[in-house]
Amino acid sequence: MSLLETRELTKEYRVGDHIVHALRGVSLAIDAGEFVTIVGPSGSGKSTFMHILGCLDRPTTGQYLLNGRDVSTLPPDELARVRNEMLGFVFQGFNLLARTSAVENVELPLLYTRQGVVRAGDRRKKAMAALEAVGLTDRAEHHPNQLSGGQQQRVAIARALVADPSVLLADEPTGNLDTATSHEVMEIFARLRRERGLTIVVITHERDIAAYGSRTIDFRDGKVTSDVHHDQALAEPSVR
Amino acid sequence: MIKRWLSHPFVDLALKALGRNRLQTGLTLLGMTIGVATVLAMMAVGAGAQQSIEQQVRAAGLNQLTVRAGNWRPKVEDTGEAVAHQGDARDTLVLPLYRGDVLPIAFHPEDDPMEKHDHPLARQRLGDLEAGLGSAATLTFADAEAIKELPGVQYVAGGVHENARVHVGGKRWFTRMHGTDVEMPSIKRGWMLAEGRFFTRREQDNAAQVIVIGQIVADKLFGPGARAAGQEVTLWNQPFEVVGVVTSATWVVRPAPGDDQFDAVYMPYTTTHRLLNLSKLNDITITAASSGDVSRLARDITMLLRQRHGIGDDQPDDFTVLTQATKALTTGGLPPSVARAVAGNVAELEKVTLEQLATTLERASRTMTWLLAAVAAVSLVVGGIGIMNITLLSVTERTREIGLRLAVGARGRDVMRQFLIEAVTISLAGGVAGIILGVIAAALIARTLNWATVVSPLSVLLAFGVAGAVGVFFGWYPARRASRLDPIVALRRE
Repeated sequence: MSLLETRELTKEYRVGDHIVHALRGVSLAIDAGEFVTIVGPSGSGKSTFMHILGCLDRPTTGQYLLNGRDVSTLPPDELARVRNEMLGFVFQGFNLLARTSAVENVELPLLYTRQGVVRAGDRRKKAMAALEAVGLTDRAEHHPNQLSGGQQQRVAIARALVADPSVLLADEPTGNLDTATSHEVMEIFARLRRERGLTIVVITHERDIAAYGSRTIDFRDGKVTSDVHHDQALAEPSVR
Repeated sequence: MIKRWLSHPFVDLALKALGRNRLQTGLTLLGMTIGVATVLAMMAVGAGAQQSIEQQVRAAGLNQLTVRAGNWRPKVEDTGEAVAHQGDARDTLVLPLYRGDVLPIAFHPEDDPMEKHDHPLARQRLGDLEAGLGSAATLTFADAEAIKELPGVQYVAGGVHENARVHVGGKRWFTRMHGTDVEMPSIKRGWMLAEGRFFTRREQDNAAQVIVIGQIVADKLFGPGARAAGQEVTLWNQPFEVVGVVTSATWVVRPAPGDDQFDAVYMPYTTTHRLLNLSKLNDITITAASSGDVSRLARDITMLLRQRHGIGDDQPDDFTVLTQATKALTTGGLPPSVARAVAGNVAELEKVTLEQLATTLERASRTMTWLLAAVAAVSLVVGGIGIMNITLLSVTERTREIGLRLAVGARGRDVMRQFLIEAVTISLAGGVAGIILGVIAAALIARTLNWATVVSPLSVLLAFGVAGAVGVFFGWYPARRASRLDPIVALRRE
């Protein structure tokens, strides 16, 4: 059983009078421990696909199985729970809270666990552990405006890690970073996958960034146009 | 506890968020503060007016009843004849009101203006008020104790009254002696101690020879301005220690020679009983907890005493219950003929006149309180709109943050709670500041305008509660809006 599996996903938006078909039947299966990079031009549907994978959006038709469970029809509160417990997000714009220290930013997901708010001491401990994983323990008390872009993105990765998810989803995580920093960030993803067996899905439109993945999927016009495994160890056909 | 609450992540968050727009937050806070302060100050003014009316009503003794031993009524034929013989213009005016078959109560025949007198009227003679009443020995201390148990009774004091000659050295003064109860100062709201104290319960229990003298007696025996407390006087050839001097607490009543309260001396009724070898009370004075309750209480006391005294249905009372209204009519300002006509013809007279006046005044002042509070509440609404405004601003400014929170697992209700806490934090902070400001304002009003103001704990609690409610009410819409944001749209917002 794959960790993430989509079956004939379609997504339609209404824009004024006409309907935009963002996804036109996407069936993919991603196994635990895969590092998938998704490439494609703007409007190819890759972001929409990512939103559905991230339980931020629901498909118009089709199914999305997360760890074997159909989450495509769950009510909003249940989706929030899935996001909190199983998924970690990294955004292009970092999305750190201003005037809030790095460690407090990292603690954020722990405020919304279903077991109730995690105790302050435990929150701090977990957040520090996550910061350690991205090598930023010495910047824990710094505010975002005191951090470089790369450091900010590392804080964001720590935040995505803190609730111990099984999947990291990153939407153009290197879009706002210079080349050297971009590679640093991708190295972190690669290391997290290696060390923790995390499943990672990264959207990018830079080919050299996409090369970090064990598998690269191309999107065009709401459809998958190619699906290539680079990593021989995990190479097995997964497109149906 | 407050520290723990403040460190709660959502509260902490709210405080941080509010700190981000300091000026706006401050202005909103100010609006809220002014709103709460206005409401509180207005309520204080209203409640003050209400209380001073209540106090004046009490001071006037509208809540006071007196039970006197004995029952005296004039013969119907006598008064009827007198009216027929000697009606003057004033009497003619009241005549239509007067029905011969109704028994006027509580009159001394000497007070009848129709009679020709060649001696001073009863109430013109010292210590001889309403002779005929209180002279029969039918009331006991146990009666007083039983009355105390009735619902709505506030204070009860039994009394024995005698005429007495008080000596100090060569000076003497003929005055009225009241053997009374320690509760008397609570009943006589118009009293004030010019010197010393009233006698104590212990002195009453021991039948001690202590005496409290009226201002007039003090002036006559010791001279105006001289210290009377601690001196010794002689009464019935017995030495008494003067422990205090009573005088009038209001400018409305000035102590004058011959009056019943301040040209008088007071001692524990137990002492009177002991020295004069008595066991009965001449009268029992009662105050009702509420002045509107006097008629009901008068009825209950009548029933209780009839039962206690074993009076059959066809027998007249062996006591007389007087309310302040009937007393005022019979002994005060009104010409006796008018008083008699009115008292004789209107059942529960005090209820339609003085009591009603009292309740009307109280009701009017309560209405005024609420009216003032309602007007002030408008400023609270303005404050609330301010809160709504800043919360909306906060939601708009932090749309991306909301999107992020949703993405990391916050539910709509978590987001809603966050913004509600923010709104309520401002409103409660404004509430606390407003309460402080309102209390100060009330004190200033009392001081500069000389108005009575009362800040009751209830009104403070109410102001705080209303402040919180304003926060919830006006924070609701922006918070709801925030909670319904689509995470994707919110995350994309710049």
